[in-house]
Amino acid sequence: MSKPEFIYVTYIETTPEKLWHALTDGDFTQRYWFGARLRSDWKAGSSFEMVRSDGTVSDAGKVVEVDPPRRLAYTFINQSDKYKNEFPALATFVLEPYGKLVKLTLTHEGFAEGSKFYSGISKGWPAILSSLKSILETGQPLDIPFEALKMEA
Amino acid sequence: MSKPEFVYVTYIETTPEKLWQALTEGDFTEQYWFAHRATSDWNVGSSYHFTLEGEKRLEGKVLISDPPRKLAYTWNGCSEEVRRERTSRVTFDLEPRGKAVKLTMTHDNLDEAGVTFRGIADGWPMVLASLKSFLETGRPLSDDVRTIQAVAA
Repeated sequence: MSKPEFIYVTYIETTPEKLWHALTDGDFTQRYWFGARLRSDWKAGSSFEMVRSDGTVSDAGKVVEVDPPRRLAYTFINQSDKYKNEFPALATFVLEPYGKLVKLTLTHEGFAEGSKFYSGISKGWPAILSSLKSILETGQPLDIPFEALKMEA
Repeated sequence: MSKPEFVYVTYIETTPEKLWQALTEGDFTEQYWFAHRATSDWNVGSSYHFTLEGEKRLEGKVLISDPPRKLAYTWNGCSEEVRRERTSRVTFDLEPRGKAVKLTMTHDNLDEAGVTFRGIADGWPMVLASLKSFLETGRPLSDDVRTIQAVAA
């Protein structure tokens, strides 16, 4: 059995620069990323954190690759005890412009077989990236209750 | 070994009824599904087809029709390249989530050696991204997406 890998492709009517900003600016991510502020200085090797609205850190890892506005890669793992035996996995965003559109490819890899965290991110990413597309195209993120993602299941 | 499948989840700010209509009515599919027009009465056992400029491109039979929750049909591409491939199956699950609808598209029973299998990992994200833009902004993705299609082919 091979190691699980999550790949998600979407097309957004925006520019690579706006999309890059949406992916890396904490004030912006807070609006569509279920309240998470992404925090980093975005240099390769620097730390990377997702910060909840109460200031606590939900996920942490490291920045691996920064090539604006084309490629962004970082590792992270949720800090909950549930995942204490798991390791950070690598999320890579590739932004390719096509006229008025940007093709966004997210690859999240490096999970061990049977990873519970993999199961969680597989449910989270489609919702986060759908909300990202909505906020860039309509100005409004999606209004999905976090519990509806059933990430605990 | 199980046959390969492709699963894509997106969240769209719309109602299940509007999404069902967009998936099944030719006047709508023509706008976001790369000018392909769907025709069927969408009853279980009925046939359906998608035409492009009057020429049949895709056809099959309706397997499940439970508006506005679940729709499934067999998938037979009409072009020379794909006509001899195994008949595959497409299933749409529509689940309300707050003000959005979670759409899960599962394309399975695919011929892993076939052209269809290689093409859909590019094709479905484009169609479903265009559908989402169409329902949320009133406009499908710009024609630039057709250029990507041509490049990818």
